[in-house]
Amino acid sequence: MTQGVAGELERLRASARERIESATDQKALEGLRVSLLGKKGELTTILRQLGGLPAADRAAAGAEANQLKDEIFQWITDRMGGLEAKRHTALGDTEWVDLTFVPNPVRRGHLHPLTLILREVKAIFSRLGYEVALGPQVEDEFHNFEALNIPQDHPARDTMDSFYVEADDLLLRTHTSPVQIRFMQSHKPPIRIIAPGAVYRRDATDPSHGSQFYQVEGLVVDHDIRLSDLKGTIEYFARSLFGPERRIRIVGDHFPFTEPSIGAAVSCGICGGIGCRSCKGGWLEILGAGMVHPQVLRNGGIDPERYSGFAFGAGLDRLAMLKYNVTDLRLFLENDVRFLRQF
Amino acid sequence: MLISLNWLKEYVDITADAPTLAERLTLAGNEVERIAQQEVDFDGVVVAEVKSLRPLPGSTKNQIAGVTTGGAAVEVVTGAWNLAVGDRVPYATPGSRLGDRRIETKTFLGVPSAGMLCSAIELGLGEDAAGIMILDPGATPGQDLHALYPRDTILELEIKSNRPDLLCHLGIAREVGAIFNLSVREPKIPKTRSSDAPDLVRIDAPDGCRRFVGRLITGITVAPSPPWMQARLRAAGVRPISNIVDITNYVMLESGQPMHAFDYRRLTGGRIVVRRARDGEELACLDGKTRRLTAHDMVVADTERAQGLAGIIGGAESAVQAATTDIVLEAATWEPRSIRRTARMHGLRTEASSRFEKGLSPALSLPAVERAAALVAELSGGTATRASDVYPVPLTPATIELDADRIERVLGVRVEIADAASILERLRFIVKRAGARLQVQPPAFRLDCSIPEDLVEEIGRVHGYDRVPSTLPGARTPVRDLFERRDADETAREVLAGRELDEAVTSSLVSADGTPPIAMPSAAQAVVKVKNPMAENRDALRRSLLPGLLEALALNARQDQGGARLFELGSVFWKSAVNAVDEPQALALAAHVPAGGADAAVAELRSLQATLATMRDRFAIPATAFKQADFPSENPGVFAGFHPGRTGEVLDDGEPIGIVGEVHPQLLAQLGLPGRAVVAEVLFDRFSAGGGRTPQARPLARFPGVRRDLTVLIRGKIAASEVLQVIRQQGGYTLRDISMVSEYQGPQLEAGARSLSFRLHYQADDRTLTNEEVAAVQQRIIDGLNARFGAEVRS
Repeated sequence: MTQGVAGELERLRASARERIESATDQKALEGLRVSLLGKKGELTTILRQLGGLPAADRAAAGAEANQLKDEIFQWITDRMGGLEAKRHTALGDTEWVDLTFVPNPVRRGHLHPLTLILREVKAIFSRLGYEVALGPQVEDEFHNFEALNIPQDHPARDTMDSFYVEADDLLLRTHTSPVQIRFMQSHKPPIRIIAPGAVYRRDATDPSHGSQFYQVEGLVVDHDIRLSDLKGTIEYFARSLFGPERRIRIVGDHFPFTEPSIGAAVSCGICGGIGCRSCKGGWLEILGAGMVHPQVLRNGGIDPERYSGFAFGAGLDRLAMLKYNVTDLRLFLENDVRFLRQF
Repeated sequence: MLISLNWLKEYVDITADAPTLAERLTLAGNEVERIAQQEVDFDGVVVAEVKSLRPLPGSTKNQIAGVTTGGAAVEVVTGAWNLAVGDRVPYATPGSRLGDRRIETKTFLGVPSAGMLCSAIELGLGEDAAGIMILDPGATPGQDLHALYPRDTILELEIKSNRPDLLCHLGIAREVGAIFNLSVREPKIPKTRSSDAPDLVRIDAPDGCRRFVGRLITGITVAPSPPWMQARLRAAGVRPISNIVDITNYVMLESGQPMHAFDYRRLTGGRIVVRRARDGEELACLDGKTRRLTAHDMVVADTERAQGLAGIIGGAESAVQAATTDIVLEAATWEPRSIRRTARMHGLRTEASSRFEKGLSPALSLPAVERAAALVAELSGGTATRASDVYPVPLTPATIELDADRIERVLGVRVEIADAASILERLRFIVKRAGARLQVQPPAFRLDCSIPEDLVEEIGRVHGYDRVPSTLPGARTPVRDLFERRDADETAREVLAGRELDEAVTSSLVSADGTPPIAMPSAAQAVVKVKNPMAENRDALRRSLLPGLLEALALNARQDQGGARLFELGSVFWKSAVNAVDEPQALALAAHVPAGGADAAVAELRSLQATLATMRDRFAIPATAFKQADFPSENPGVFAGFHPGRTGEVLDDGEPIGIVGEVHPQLLAQLGLPGRAVVAEVLFDRFSAGGGRTPQARPLARFPGVRRDLTVLIRGKIAASEVLQVIRQQGGYTLRDISMVSEYQGPQLEAGARSLSFRLHYQADDRTLTNEEVAAVQQRIIDGLNARFGAEVRS
């Protein structure tokens, strides 16, 4: 009888081994595991016969059966690993995908270049602690002109030919500078603002002029503000926007609302400052600035003996043109999606 | 302003090369826009003296000139007849070069001509082609013409509007002197008694004329001005006319003071009257045009008629002509406002008016007349006789105090007081040292300096802004909260870009009559008009962003870019009751549906609504509700331009804050936009609740919730919002959330029927809901819907 059980175990060992070795996929192996070791499997069937054996034989046969169970388990595991390794080796052929076939990027909306440039400008100045201030586009003559030392018949009005609207004494602001006055009237120093927005002049439309364009104004008022602070601010701003390798040039200039007045230019990024068709002798004018005129401070309700300040104004569209290589200002207001989707 | 470097060198010994000079002038605030080399291109041309003239045998056109360059005379054939024996002329010797042309000995009718005599145009020294250029009698035969006419370099400067004193060579010479610390030779002005003829000039309108200096010179001879003067005028861009006219222009280009010369014999009454024109008075001007004047215009008149438009252009009648023998020289100072106004009214800007408009100093006029009189005496003879200087209110020079601390406080760099004084003195300021302080008087020719900061600017720009250090303002920064709305802007842009809309920026200026009236319903009905538009179709301010966006959709469709989706965030202009203009921020969206008809438009409309809801969700504003727009039966009124069946108002807290809908086909046809379009416009501040709320965390549910779907079949125009309201009412406390899942209308349903599917989420805070509990609530909802709408409900 013992002979019988032992023989069956031996036969099972041989056949199990052979069947496991010849299995060709994981599914077949899984089937073998169930048919050999499962609840109704072949080994279990043999083990059930152990109950009929004498106690002495039972222990030996039991040990033998358990050993076979471990062996079969090990063979299946090994075979499983072998098959997996083989499958992995073949993946390059069985699951090949051509990755040079490029899908379209997910369609996204594009923000306007004027928004993008303003974001950059705001980010730069917010690092320096500036706030954003806004003012109306329909302005009165006091804020747009008189408070900025531009009385009626001042020659500066020649370059700022304005649109008047039907309400009395109201016009479309010709620059963002009136925000300086409004902010000084409503806030005490220290003041540190930028004021972006649309401005309007009765200029003929061409690639670099339009009757509607965009500026960003800056104003700092505090004790002991000096031109050196203005110079440092301009350099920080221009290098942040255009790149740290750029050089900045400060020249004398004239504005009625600043004294002294200066102009700032950045070295041309195309020729590196030698002079080329895109620049003026190697320089690109980016903004006008100066120390706030004492009378303008007074007009804003600030005592020029206690405080001083600087102000600057740059063309946002000009900055965007320089930074994004846009050669025609008119593209900004045309809204051709072929243009917008480049940004 | 064109500046001749040769001319400039008469006043200051410039050693720097032209690019360096230009760079330094620019840094100091006088921008040099261009450096041009004058086109004088010849070699081997020398001065020759005409010794003899005889006809060329066999020719009626040419003659033979015997000329000498110091040695033996040679014969040259010439076609010109303006020569006289003794004249000095330019002689192109054999082997010389005029531009690309090589000059050799040539034979005319058997007579060899050893080279040629040259006209001004052949040498590039003028436009005169008619005759040989007659040189200065002092020119030495044999002298290289280059020595007389060195190739000139022309600087084109942009002079700032506060510095009309720099619109001349002497002004620039002073700048150069100050910048390079070089001495400047001012031209010698002879001093004469100036008011020995008080009857020559009378000012009747002193509010328009600050000073008038006139001087009578008799017995002059009008002739061409000498070549050196013509060359300088030409270099500065002025065409030579005659010695008298050229002298007036020369003095202006030298000193900045515009001048005029009258033919004295043409002045009725023999005197000059400065007055306002009579309304309707006519004046024939030097440019050949007759202008009708008004009482605003200042004129220089004789005792009867206007003889010149003051400070702008002279009159034709009293202009200096070839036969003129007696002249009155004028150097006046005109009120800038009056000149500006007249120049604008008559659309005439001249060298003179552009100087007077900026405000010239009255101190310039007397020396200008004296200088001109001296030149007249030198170049056209005559006797300077009576002079008159009418100067009702002489300027009183201001004194400005300055110290080194002030300079440092403004510039941020220490400039020693001695250096500051030196700079100011180089610029012709009168400086008195009083210890550490300076008492400074601006030069009489400048009117732009009145406060210490003006002086600091002079010091700064000459000292050099490159010597100012770069610092940043101190660390004290204001703490205020101005970023609220800005953040909402950026959040909205992010969401919109994510929803595949491109950002547009459209013009604020629109056509008052041509713009379709489509707008959000709360927009002001009337547009704000521009009083002085540049174009008819840009004569008002936009009251809505929608017309501009629709135009942009149409433009893109024409460019083969159908299906564009755009948004804009910007100001709209609403006329308010009190003659003022409100500028609310609006947000508008517009999507073009080129194909697919009604169903595609619905899908796009739903997408637009979802976009609006997504933005509100990003602002942490819980709900976005829409209300079906209630079109008045006759006239669409505030809903003009919208589709009567497909338009809704956007609600915030139950109040309308905008609109969303399909565009009316009639408007699309008007815009030439094929297919369909859907749009939305909202008041951005309300829409974003002023900046977006901060999300607040709530505890997570401790017990599982239950989801149930509900499909409601309704008939007719029953709004989903009403269905929702009933569900919400019946749902009670455990119904936490309802979402609209889908909508169906079509062949599977009877005509006019519509099915709406909702997903309901039930939840309790204190227990797990049982199926029975939920089923009871669902049944209550079903009954409610049935009772209210007769709806069939499947759950």
